[in-house]
Amino acid sequence: MNDLHAVLWIARKDLLQEARSKAVTVATVFFSAVTLGVLAFAFGENPLLMREGAMGALWVALAFAGVISAAQSWQADLEDGALEALLAWPVPRAAVYLGKLLANWGLMTVLGFVLLPLAGGLYGADVGGGGEVPAALVVAVLLATIAAGTLGFALIAVFYAGLTANLRARESLLPVLMFPVVVPILLAAVRASNALVGSGDLDLAWAWLRLLVGFDLVYAVVCLALFRFVVEA
Amino acid sequence: MEPAVTRSAPAGAGAPAGAGAPAGAGASTGAGVPPAIELRGLVHGYGGPPVLAGIDLDVAVGRVVALHGPNGAGKTTLLRLLATRLRPVRGHARVLGHDVVRQAHEVRARVATLPVYGGAYGALSGRENLRLGVALRGGGEDAAAVDRALERVGLTAAADHLVRAYSSGMRKRLALARLTLADAPVWLLDEPYAALDEQGQALVDALLAAARDDGRTVLVASHDLPRSLATADAVVEIAGGHLRVMARPTRARGATAAVRGDAAIDGDAPTGGDPPAGAEA
Repeated sequence: MNDLHAVLWIARKDLLQEARSKAVTVATVFFSAVTLGVLAFAFGENPLLMREGAMGALWVALAFAGVISAAQSWQADLEDGALEALLAWPVPRAAVYLGKLLANWGLMTVLGFVLLPLAGGLYGADVGGGGEVPAALVVAVLLATIAAGTLGFALIAVFYAGLTANLRARESLLPVLMFPVVVPILLAAVRASNALVGSGDLDLAWAWLRLLVGFDLVYAVVCLALFRFVVEA
Repeated sequence: MEPAVTRSAPAGAGAPAGAGAPAGAGASTGAGVPPAIELRGLVHGYGGPPVLAGIDLDVAVGRVVALHGPNGAGKTTLLRLLATRLRPVRGHARVLGHDVVRQAHEVRARVATLPVYGGAYGALSGRENLRLGVALRGGGEDAAAVDRALERVGLTAAADHLVRAYSSGMRKRLALARLTLADAPVWLLDEPYAALDEQGQALVDALLAAARDDGRTVLVASHDLPRSLATADAVVEIAGGHLRVMARPTRARGATAAVRGDAAIDGDAPTGGDPPAGAEA
């Protein structure tokens, strides 16, 4: 069969389930909002600290929400032997991974786009850059940074969530396993975002964004090559 | 020596193009046609004593073989090995000439499974689950075929309900519908009668009969011995990690006669068509 169709069918299946259960949406939006609120409270009334910490807080909220999203993405597959049935079909394992990745990345990216203005407003940070560079360009690069960062995060999260899906201690093992690997993604994403917000330093942001995309490519190749060992007997 | 059941292929039932007779199978096949299912020295376990301790079995193309045994004997393990969901510790298994480890994708394209659990997504409707299965098996979007399958298993009225609202019997019916839509030459059924009412059990019998008529090869794990004796070409028991032929039904049927005529039983398996003590119970 056309492997691209398999990818789209699996992504569609995951998104359809999420649209009906709203399990990931409710949990991640609530958790992210609480995280942003608590960190804003912790930074106190120092405007400079608030502005400089805005993007860090955004990515902390996205990272923890991403763990919830990834763990949930395999939950439905484990019920009633659905994953067992899926893997008994002649579906390329890469298509299974890419389908789940597409759904997970889509949800995280939308969450990131929603949280960006929320973080900007809550922390008093100018997401338009506030400098000489046109605000639209700064926002566009910021959205690209969120898309690239959530892609890198989802690449790792879906891979490790699949690896731990059949383990009893999966909820505790998943963050322990994935966070050390995902740190370069988070650091690059935070640096690129910080360079844009407030100062609108496009050159610095591009440098970090290129590094971020490089990490994405490396992780994509590695995860695609190894995923079949995750789900095969 | 481990028991082995060997039967010839029925007329018109062929192996896939390019599938040569695998090593070791030639002596056990009737007309040079490789068996649909071939196990040689198959060993598998989960850390303790092996569940399968060196199993040999040939199942000819187009035959229905029932697999019996107590809980934990290894019936599901054997089916999962053939479905490529487990890897043998030793030995090998082939399906229509394709090795389940080295040619797993080719095997999956030729096998349809009925897992002991329904294997459906609860947040999707019955119809959506079937459409997903058809699409992922490369069948495109044949809505009419999905409707026919739903009607055949009696789920038309519940087709658009979410599966999480289905009873266990309805889930089993949905799994049967997905099985028929797969149009695979080999079926692996794990407890197909479980959770079904009388009508549903009769439906399974009808599907098995239709599968035989279509030339499919079917391996059925079941605890329902009387039904197995009535529907299968051969009944094999798995216990203590080994296989033995329990019974070869003596119904007057062409296929059965071919089975009886070509059967070769080694080891300590009972001979002839006599069921073991208690088989009629």
